[in-house]
Amino acid sequence: MVVGRAVGITGIFYHPSFSRRSYLTTGRRLADFPGALASLLKHPRVALCECPSATDELILLAHDPGLIPQVEADPL
Amino acid sequence: MEGMRRVAAGNLANGFCFIGAGGHHAGRNFFGGYCCYNDVVIAIRQARRMKRLRRVAILDTDAHHADGTWDLVADDPDVLHVCVCGAEYTSADGSKVDVAAPDPWALEGSPDEAYLDVVRTAFPARAARFRPDLIVWYFGFDTHQGDYGDLGLTSAAFLGLADLMLESAAQECGGKLLVVLGGGSRTDIATALIPPVIGRLAGIVQPSAYTLDT
Repeated sequence: MVVGRAVGITGIFYHPSFSRRSYLTTGRRLADFPGALASLLKHPRVALCECPSATDELILLAHDPGLIPQVEADPL
Repeated sequence: MEGMRRVAAGNLANGFCFIGAGGHHAGRNFFGGYCCYNDVVIAIRQARRMKRLRRVAILDTDAHHADGTWDLVADDPDVLHVCVCGAEYTSADGSKVDVAAPDPWALEGSPDEAYLDVVRTAFPARAARFRPDLIVWYFGFDTHQGDYGDLGLTSAAFLGLADLMLESAAQECGGKLLVVLGGGSRTDIATALIPPVIGRLAGIVQPSAYTLDT
């Protein structure tokens, strides 16, 4: 059943790595995903899209170059 | 980035973005609070470079102030940034706004309704004046009862926020709404709350999920 204003497809952007190590306070908050989305994903108006990796070039659209090695060196 | 690109281009009606780490505490040359890179601002700048959009309105309902996003968009008049946190602030041009979340311990009524009232007052009218090309909802569930930013909220508040944001997007930018996951640590809350929020985006009825309380 479809209600509301939505017209077209709702995209869910996800990568399996998010469920293995997502949000570092606990690391497992998305442990149940993508399985928890199974019923949604049967609907023709919902699509699962895998997130591509971000390049350094993209990161530098917002951040100073020096931030990247700092993040990579962070133990978290 | 991919979500914003595809929603801005009209290839998708709207989108929900899971994340591997947070984004809104990452500024130009600092990061912290379990955020590494500012995904939302990177996505805006990439979409602008591709001529997909210019003006973006952001509502941040994570429990904590979006200091990184604020740092990156403070001088950008084409970003409306409304952050529901612990402060009250409005920039001179009205495009950068912090509003204090209601203190659940000082309330006599429902924390859900009080929180939704704050957002109803803070966001839709500003978005209407701002006329964005796309709206971003930075959706933290850390404010849910029992999570680390507990503001006494139940699932009803988040579904109400989803409806409010859908309505704003429908009115202001052809429904172009991108929901980006923010804070929140509990697997049980994520499992119970996120699917019905996505269901609202898709316009799918999921009545069994509407009564969650933790």
